[in-house]
Amino acid sequence: MNNHLSRSWLLAAMSKPEAVATAAQSGADVVVLDLIEFVAETDQPAARQNVRAAIATVQADGPRVFVQTTPTTCDADLRAAVWPGLSGIVLSRAETAQQMQSVCNLLFLLEKERGLGEGAIDIVAALETARGNQDAYDVITASKRVCAVTLGRADLVMDLRPEPSGDLHLMPYLMERLIIVARAAGVTPLGAWWRAPDRGLLSTPENTLQAAKRGRAAGFKGALCLRANQVAPLNSIYA
Amino acid sequence: MPIVTPRFIDNAWRRGCDFVLLDLEDSVPQNRKAYARTLVKDAIPNVNKGGTEAFVRINHEHMQADTEAAVWPGLRRIKYPKTGTADEVRQLDAIITRMENERGIEPGSIEIDAGIETALAVTNVYDIAAASPRIKEFGATNGGYDMSRDLGVEMFVPYDQFVYLRGEAELAARALGLGVRAAPFVANTSGSVSDGNRALRLAEAACACGLRLGGGGLNPAVVESHNKGYTPSETDVRDAQWVLEQFERLQTGKEPWLEVEGRVIDRYEVERARETLDWAELCAARDREKAAAVARVQAAMAVPK
Repeated sequence: MNNHLSRSWLLAAMSKPEAVATAAQSGADVVVLDLIEFVAETDQPAARQNVRAAIATVQADGPRVFVQTTPTTCDADLRAAVWPGLSGIVLSRAETAQQMQSVCNLLFLLEKERGLGEGAIDIVAALETARGNQDAYDVITASKRVCAVTLGRADLVMDLRPEPSGDLHLMPYLMERLIIVARAAGVTPLGAWWRAPDRGLLSTPENTLQAAKRGRAAGFKGALCLRANQVAPLNSIYA
Repeated sequence: MPIVTPRFIDNAWRRGCDFVLLDLEDSVPQNRKAYARTLVKDAIPNVNKGGTEAFVRINHEHMQADTEAAVWPGLRRIKYPKTGTADEVRQLDAIITRMENERGIEPGSIEIDAGIETALAVTNVYDIAAASPRIKEFGATNGGYDMSRDLGVEMFVPYDQFVYLRGEAELAARALGLGVRAAPFVANTSGSVSDGNRALRLAEAACACGLRLGGGGLNPAVVESHNKGYTPSETDVRDAQWVLEQFERLQTGKEPWLEVEGRVIDRYEVERARETLDWAELCAARDREKAAAVARVQAAMAVPK
């Protein structure tokens, strides 16, 4: 794992050229080009076609570039995206050590084929399902490429709704568990401590700042976000 | 409810409960355990007649005798308190299987509720949850008194002292695809188990965060609160319908999400809305079923002999 400053990870949907351009200029330490979560299914083939050029453009502006994929789509996504200039992938809905190993095998082949150094591509494991969290330690330690771990959109994937306290049900436990597993495995825990009714898509810079403060206090070392105006609060808090 | 108190058992069918837990454990004194076992066979159809499901709570230390006394037609579930290991659950499963065969009950139909009430259980929680296909619902909401004692933590405090153990149990349940028995944290500093208002607030909070399995209560005063709190309110139903209407608009476009009136409308919100509406339907159907059963019994009782 390479040691980079990675306080803010801004996701940008590959189907939105203006979002990609904004992300490149946002001041984010890492731009995550999303091929799957925020891209309508019909737009996904075009997103894959355009991703190689987008990686080059965004990287030229300064941020490191990751792409977001899932175990079910990673074959097409990685063939489209693993080119020089790519630093890593966010593997959304990561669940099993076996998935992690097959992703690694594919990365190994593509790195060789396309002239990247062996092991150049890092992995952020986004544990968004109960199974992924239950087996978190095995998933994370399945590959040396895993540099960081996050809960991603676990609140949505696992349908965790707000409790009267304002915390999302089960999330305080999942966050603490993730910190412990991440530290035990020697990877970076990424995340912010969001509270209801905020969702990353709409959260204001001020609420992002509060979420980042709580996140830092809990042990997170940087966070993913969805809007360019959330980058500055993350950069200031996770500094 | 204590199975040795006839006035509780005889009136159980009138209470509007989804289930009644017939207790052989803590509410039955040691010297009446043997007598209590003789009452189960008749108590089951007695509580069933109001459309209420019958569960039996056995004693941890009398697994075999209690289970043999409890597995009769009409029994839905055995609650096994103070589970310690997965092996214990497998032993219980084997006894139930044998009794189902002997008494002509559909094999595999009786569920096990493994009570998570000790530190040992928390340590083994995933293995316990995975130990038998008879475990359909799982969680540690009812750790309560026994758990407090076993862990040496205070019970009625204004913060969530069980966040770790409840999380462990819930994560195991979810990872195994079991029904999630969980509850949000609502402080109870008074120690009351019969406060209907508190029960209602707790049930509403649980329902709002998507939890669907009530943990049960110790007093009939909380039954109505549980039924009401776990039923989506009219506001919830209207909101869910609104989300689905907005989603119709979304599907006509190509966007995976929309912002409408400061809210995100996407597939996750839609799934939640659909789930809420389905749940509201199920609640209404269950209420009709219980009301019909109570009416049948009352009509039968009204006929002069």
